[in-house]
Amino acid sequence: MKMGHAAAAIIALASSAAVLTLTLVFAVTGGEAPQLAGAMTSGSVAASGSVNVVTTILLDFRSLDTLGEASVIFASVACVGVLFRGSRRIGTEPGLGVLVRRSVGYLSALFLLFPLYIVAHGHLSPGGGFQGGVSLAVLLILLTVAYGSRPMATAVDPSRLHMTESLSALGFLMAGFVGVLQGTSFLANAAAGFPRGVPGSLLSGGLIPVLNAIIGVKVASGLGSIFFDFQSERGE
Amino acid sequence: MLQQAMYVAAAIVFGIGLYGVLSRRDMVKICVSLSVMESSLIMILVALAYRPDAAAPIIVDGVATYVDPLPHALALTAIVIGAGVLSVALALTVIVHRAHGTSNIAVVFRRGR
Repeated sequence: MKMGHAAAAIIALASSAAVLTLTLVFAVTGGEAPQLAGAMTSGSVAASGSVNVVTTILLDFRSLDTLGEASVIFASVACVGVLFRGSRRIGTEPGLGVLVRRSVGYLSALFLLFPLYIVAHGHLSPGGGFQGGVSLAVLLILLTVAYGSRPMATAVDPSRLHMTESLSALGFLMAGFVGVLQGTSFLANAAAGFPRGVPGSLLSGGLIPVLNAIIGVKVASGLGSIFFDFQSERGE
Repeated sequence: MLQQAMYVAAAIVFGIGLYGVLSRRDMVKICVSLSVMESSLIMILVALAYRPDAAAPIIVDGVATYVDPLPHALALTAIVIGAGVLSVALALTVIVHRAHGTSNIAVVFRRGR
């Protein structure tokens, strides 16, 4: 072990001990469960009609934070795009054998069904736009690996993915401005007149399924364009 | 008790990740260590949400206690931001590798001097 490694080990041990002390002190002195948790859990159905409390927090109580979260993805997609500027965005990966290509082709319908289900049931079960969007991007990556870069890049234009991502960010903002036009706050849900629906049914939650779908498109196109950037070739 | 065990596990994972960030010189390994550190944060959030005998925070008739939903929402945010940070870090790794033929930052700095 070199000298630098020993120092690194000491620093890592010290901060690990600090993390442990801080969390344990918080756990001992934190006391009872805060009132906020109970209020959010019991108020979720009344506020938005969504039975999934985590989704209600993300897309109703604190939907402005989720807009910030979505813009973090936007920023990282833009950052990766800038870093890879000048690269040819169509890679030269040849793809895999006929067996893999046929089986991926047959299975792709199921691979498409899963993210759609995850996004559509975001207000009913664990899941939502972020998770469904990631699995949709995985489908894109799987097809690229199986069929090779060139056929995929002609089927899904990477620069159009950037455009889709920006448009869905705009869609999120416009869904938020509906609340302002209705005379309430930005990104208001039930207060802006969105119907709550029957809690637990597929058509419930007001604005929440709409925002989930927008986020799903945004995350899928964002991660897809990051992937296309990564598999690009050095330009010039 | 379960919660305390989870805090200890999270602290150990955090230490492993920090040691990796400080001692490794290869940018890919630093990226891996960063995501290891990030997963310790998510472990802490999961432990914070834990309540004894509570169900997942999806409202069902006949269930009285649910776990705290707020740390779950924060964990989702942390995962998304972690993915963004990791993608930018890996993009920088690819750029450095293209420019210098190696992703070892010690070698890159030695050449630059």
